[in-house]
Amino acid sequence: MTTIADPKAPRAARPGPGRRSTRGNTELYGWVFMRVSGVLLLILIFTHLWSSLISGEGISQVDFGFVAGKWANPFWQVWDLTMLWLAMIHGTNGMRTIVNDYAEKDSTRLVLKSALYLAFTVVVVLGTLVIFTFDPCPAGAPMDLLPDVCSDLP
Amino acid sequence: MQIHQYDVVIVGAGGAGMRAALESSVRTRTAVISKLYPTRSHTGAAQGGMCAALANVEEDNWEWHTFDTVKGGDYLVDQDAAEVMAKEAIDAVLDLEKMGLPFNRTPEGRIDQRRFGGHTRNHGEAAVRRSCYAADRTGHMILQTLYQQCVKNEVEFFNEFYVLDLLVDHDLAAGEVAEGDEVAVAGVVAYELATGEIHVFRAKSVVLATGGAGRIYKTTSNAHTLTGDGMALAYRRGIPLEDMEFFQFHPTGLAGLGILLSEAARGEGAILRNSEGERFMERYAPTIKDLAPRDIVARSMANEVREGRGAGPNKDYVLLDLTHLEPAHIDAKLPDITEFARTYLGIEPYTEPVPVYPTAHYAMGGVPTNIEGEVLRNESDVIRGLYAAGEVACVSVHGSNRLGTNSLLDINVFGKRAGISAARYAVDAPWVDLPEAPAALVQAELEEIRTRPDGERVGDLRQALQETMDANAQVFRTEESLHQAMDDLRSLRKRFAAVSVQDKSRAFNTDLLEAVELGFLLDIAETVVVGALNRRESRGGHFREDYPTRDDEGYMRHTMTYRRPLSTPVAGAGGDVDGSFSGSTELDGYRVVLGSKPVTMTRYQPMERKY
Amino acid sequence: MTATLEKTAPGPGSAESGLGAVPSFQVTLRVQRYLPTDAGDLPAGQDVGAPTPGEYRWDEFTLTMHGTDRVLDALHKVKWEHDGSLTFRRSCAHGVCGSDAMRINGRNRLACKTLLKDLDLSKPVVVEPIKGLPVLKDLVVDMEPFFASYREIMPFLVTTGTEPTKERLQSAKERERFDDTTKCILCAACTTSCPVFWTDGQYFGPAAIVNAHRFIFDSRDEGAAQRLEILNDKEGVWRCRTTFNCTEACPRGIEVTKAIQEVKRAMITRTF
Repeated sequence: MTTIADPKAPRAARPGPGRRSTRGNTELYGWVFMRVSGVLLLILIFTHLWSSLISGEGISQVDFGFVAGKWANPFWQVWDLTMLWLAMIHGTNGMRTIVNDYAEKDSTRLVLKSALYLAFTVVVVLGTLVIFTFDPCPAGAPMDLLPDVCSDLP
Repeated sequence: MQIHQYDVVIVGAGGAGMRAALESSVRTRTAVISKLYPTRSHTGAAQGGMCAALANVEEDNWEWHTFDTVKGGDYLVDQDAAEVMAKEAIDAVLDLEKMGLPFNRTPEGRIDQRRFGGHTRNHGEAAVRRSCYAADRTGHMILQTLYQQCVKNEVEFFNEFYVLDLLVDHDLAAGEVAEGDEVAVAGVVAYELATGEIHVFRAKSVVLATGGAGRIYKTTSNAHTLTGDGMALAYRRGIPLEDMEFFQFHPTGLAGLGILLSEAARGEGAILRNSEGERFMERYAPTIKDLAPRDIVARSMANEVREGRGAGPNKDYVLLDLTHLEPAHIDAKLPDITEFARTYLGIEPYTEPVPVYPTAHYAMGGVPTNIEGEVLRNESDVIRGLYAAGEVACVSVHGSNRLGTNSLLDINVFGKRAGISAARYAVDAPWVDLPEAPAALVQAELEEIRTRPDGERVGDLRQALQETMDANAQVFRTEESLHQAMDDLRSLRKRFAAVSVQDKSRAFNTDLLEAVELGFLLDIAETVVVGALNRRESRGGHFREDYPTRDDEGYMRHTMTYRRPLSTPVAGAGGDVDGSFSGSTELDGYRVVLGSKPVTMTRYQPMERKY
Repeated sequence: MTATLEKTAPGPGSAESGLGAVPSFQVTLRVQRYLPTDAGDLPAGQDVGAPTPGEYRWDEFTLTMHGTDRVLDALHKVKWEHDGSLTFRRSCAHGVCGSDAMRINGRNRLACKTLLKDLDLSKPVVVEPIKGLPVLKDLVVDMEPFFASYREIMPFLVTTGTEPTKERLQSAKERERFDDTTKCILCAACTTSCPVFWTDGQYFGPAAIVNAHRFIFDSRDEGAAQRLEILNDKEGVWRCRTTFNCTEACPRGIEVTKAIQEVKRAMITRTF
């Protein structure tokens, strides 16, 4: 038969759902980021679409020269870089959430998220590289396909 | 079988049980055993409020409250207990507020109060605003708040454990323990629903807080789980039950369903009308009309129906009219009960009156206790270590008819007292040895029912019991109807011996537990009927058509009902219930012996009860 | 308001039709059964008809029911007249104790608040245990994980300093602020209707957040910071996807999703 425990003695921890505490502001910042980036992306994307497809001569103006011309301008470089990063982080975080919600096994989660982060890295690195290392006037290219800026070059 | 050891074991986790646990668990090692998750307890169904003379909205004092309680109980109230309750009501409400209970508020931010049946100013002058409330969910809030505090204090619960036996160191049921001998409690035996395992809880103090027994009736506001377990356990162990013939019928149950519509509806201005649209309570209680105590209103309603002024196609109910109240007011003060009317009867209370009829609601009687919560085994001797509080107990603060709101008060005041007493006793008391094979009786009974191959169905027997109680021992009773009920009970008891269940497994065998509960119900029903047969008068909730007046000369005493062996010598002539508190009646294998206990009177002499 | 009233309010005389000659009708109940493998020894030869331990199975019962009967009445009819081994929890039978939350025709409801006549009776009424908690037997699930989450969010009034001799003051407006979430009866209908909870039992779930809300917005309480800290967790409020299943499931009409959003907002305003 058991003896009586001291009523003031700490009791054994009660069975909980076995949750490890994962407190912190990470998810809060994530949540706020999704909303802020969402609004910014709306502006960035629609302005991008308008400037590319509607303003000036519309869709017919888009060619190598047009793109090269835009990226010769640091303003559009920053614009497109912001758009790329925000869209990629926003999308990846969204996908991460969906994986967390719907993948039931830890292993599935790990595989899906690894693939997701890999894809994120590849796209962001490549995209960033392209924006910054883009050469609007590749040597030997026919002049009529190049933007106006190239003709000013020696 | 597992054996546990706690200083205090509390049986039941409703309002009284958890209030006791909050007191006991800070003083000594305490366990609460409940057949439900605590928040499922029926305290949560209480609606209207909890009276206390806070005088937040108008002049009031606890002495008026005491008087109303005594008069409401038709003077069968132990007045010392009523004084304690009315006095401690104020702190009980404030305690709850400090625990976080979200009471409705006055414009000044104090606890708001409203009118309630039978609560008056200055000894019956007019209705007074005394009931502290949280919309029509006061009981829900009390239950949640008490559970929240139990979580905070890390009270140990054994949920979905059914206590099926009470262990006492003397065999009281044999009737051979002399007056004055010391008797002590040793613990309880419980059945774990999830596994079917038996657990013995050794304890220095046991607090019974198992609630009522409304399921002896068919039309009842009570939960399916209110089967009088604690009362029956005590009764089987030879402890008397007090005043069991007094059962309250709440006037406003949804017609045909019995679901409670709070008296708060009438407190907020709703009116009862018969088929002619007449406000008939003006005839029965000219001063406070619809806010008369429940026994009077229930009887008046039943009388209207009997005299052909009932509403509906079968003329079998009356109408509760809220249509003159502002919908916004109804939404703020009575949201739940109006939703009940909408959900269950498809009636819109803003525009249509709601069909209502009395529903079995509250057992005034129960396990006799003194004001410290100690259980009595006869007129005067207590059982050491055994306590009871709430509806299972009979202190007696409700006498022959409980006033609305006084049950929420009862559980808080006497739950707290029982918890303190139980813990104080347990701190110094010696351990009482468990009897040999403490669980043998329970195990044998359960195994017998579980393995009986074929027999009577639990559902059939329970239905027959409830029907005979509704027909013969309800609002109106006569010698003849009660004898009919007794005959039915005798035959049901025989049939019960052959009851069998279909579920033969050990895990979550609710089929088996329903059979056990049916046994409890049969025990309780017999004490109600025997007490009612003996009491040849009409008082409070007990109305005998053949004896329609109150008889203080013969019956200003509490009924005590004992279960004793057939061999027990009987004082009363002829050995049958003869209206003298000394008779007895024979059942299959045992005898129900009657006794009495004097009523404690301090301030108020019995007067005619008029409202 | 009047517009909705006209839609829901039955015409005059409906009291008669509801309570007079009660119409009866046939109902087919399709109930999921489950008996655990460790249910205990069955007496020899008496296990006929019982579900095979460890396996799920569907049972159908055709019953004659009446006008105001609820799904709980149908379950009782099965248990009391047909098959006593059908197991479910119930107590008050009018929607205040929270025992009998179950999945009825794919939606979480209280069996005692779901009138049969409001369901499509041309098809069987499908009754299953609530999802996301381990099934113990038939319609009974293990509620312990649910209550463990509830206990974790400090569901009690936290105050500091000396207590007043009388009540703490609170204006009617302050009382109104958290009224909605005081109605919770811990039936688990919301939590077990949440798709996030289905796949991730670690999520605190709507009910725990609702009960945190009840105290966070109580003007008398001083523990809001701690509760927000607890719920600012990977498994806390941020897992809510606002699918509104919980609000739809709540038998007490609590705006659960809104309460969760209010807790999120409180966290954000606290941080920035």
